[in-house]
Amino acid sequence: MSEPKDKRFEDVEFGEDLPEVDVDVSLPNVKVFAKAARMETGRFIDHEEARRNGLPGAIVPGIMSQGMLVALIHRWAPNAEILNVDTIFRAPLLVDSKPVASGVVTDIDEDARVIEIDLMLKNEKGETPVMGTAKIKLPG
Amino acid sequence: MILDLHSHSVASDDGRAKVENYCQWIQRKQVGIDGFVLTEHRQFDDANDYRALEDQFGLLILKASEVETEYGHVLVFGVNDDLRAAFDFAKIDNPLATVLEAAERAGAVAVPCHPGRPKVGMCAHWETRGPVDGVRIIETLNGGSREGENEQAEAMAERYGWNTIGGSDSHIVSHIGRCATRFDDEIRDIDGLVTALQGDRFEAVVPETAS
Amino acid sequence: MNAAELKTQFTGYVFDEIELDIEPESLVGFATACGETQSRFTDPTDPDFQGVPNYLTRIHGSRAMPADFPVEMHRCFDAGKSVQFHAPVRPGDKIQGRSEIADIFEKSGRSGSMLFIVHRMNFYNQAGVHLATVDWRLVQRELD
Repeated sequence: MSEPKDKRFEDVEFGEDLPEVDVDVSLPNVKVFAKAARMETGRFIDHEEARRNGLPGAIVPGIMSQGMLVALIHRWAPNAEILNVDTIFRAPLLVDSKPVASGVVTDIDEDARVIEIDLMLKNEKGETPVMGTAKIKLPG
Repeated sequence: MILDLHSHSVASDDGRAKVENYCQWIQRKQVGIDGFVLTEHRQFDDANDYRALEDQFGLLILKASEVETEYGHVLVFGVNDDLRAAFDFAKIDNPLATVLEAAERAGAVAVPCHPGRPKVGMCAHWETRGPVDGVRIIETLNGGSREGENEQAEAMAERYGWNTIGGSDSHIVSHIGRCATRFDDEIRDIDGLVTALQGDRFEAVVPETAS
Repeated sequence: MNAAELKTQFTGYVFDEIELDIEPESLVGFATACGETQSRFTDPTDPDFQGVPNYLTRIHGSRAMPADFPVEMHRCFDAGKSVQFHAPVRPGDKIQGRSEIADIFEKSGRSGSMLFIVHRMNFYNQAGVHLATVDWRLVQRELD
């Protein structure tokens, strides 16, 4: 895969899809995240302990989901200046599942030079346990 | 005529979509709907007037509410002063019977939404609390439903002979029009929508999208 | 107390402040696990090395709620986070985080009737630069 190129504000179109990414929520990778984020609690890194606590299995930390959506933006536009990210956690995202991150441009403010993006993490059933929006700036 | 009867804008606490962006999306992606209804959570949005957007984009944009009862959430079309005086839109435990009866008296239409959803859908409560008189329509196609939820709603509608509607339940721009309702007759305003829903010439559908 | 009463009593003041040092290993691990590939987020030798924009969302104060706030944390779950990014966090930064309750309201959802609490943290570095504002939507659900 070729390296993504920097984007200019003028090059972005309303409705433009960000390239989808198969995100890594395998247990080993979630453990890396949990260690870095000082979140090494059972519900994130231990399937059995999560089940004992009423969950279907270990769950991906919400802020890891958010971080993966931020990375999605950076892969599409490496030079994006992220102004804000807002994610809604509607349902648990399970560790060792195979979610796909996607995004689409849903607002272009020509005056403020701000681009808004809808962000989603979809599971194998096509459901969207994590979604949100981000606002970014690009040079132009 | 096809309308998305269930959507949320930034006026809802968990909505992230601006109405103008909904319109742009429908136009750009050629979503197969002729308009949509904003059903903001626990309120009726008096503040915003979308008639200019209607004219600009050639869409019908109507306003309604999603209120909360002990049987789950209910969409209310044709909100007026009489209805707002009948119960508190901001409460989360209004009696379903009160909402249905008040809507009938006020000339509005109340539709239990996402009935198959846990806790906030009517199906489970119907089993545990018992039936409630006055339900005539339920939402059987909800764009935010998980596996099995729409099917459960459809089964219930068939069992009781209720009419069905569809709506996206969108909270972000790109989800508008995922599900909708097809009406045999043209609708021009909220009164027309209420009249149509008081009849039976409509059904839940999944609209086509060109891109 | 109902949601409105809680809001009146517990919003509008800073109830907790913390300080912590930012370690490069944490910045790298956070970024790489999330799938970042740019060296400014993954390589400590990059001259522009910094935390990813949502890095500070991982930081919590010494207490989640004000003293005497009647919430049972074991009944709470994370409903979402938003981060308003102002300036990058760098390794070696000494971060100050200030917590307040920004909003309280109730609604019903898949888990039943719920109390929504918006916990807001503002982060500053050692130079007083405002780095980020993180809103954490915490939900306490009713007992089954």
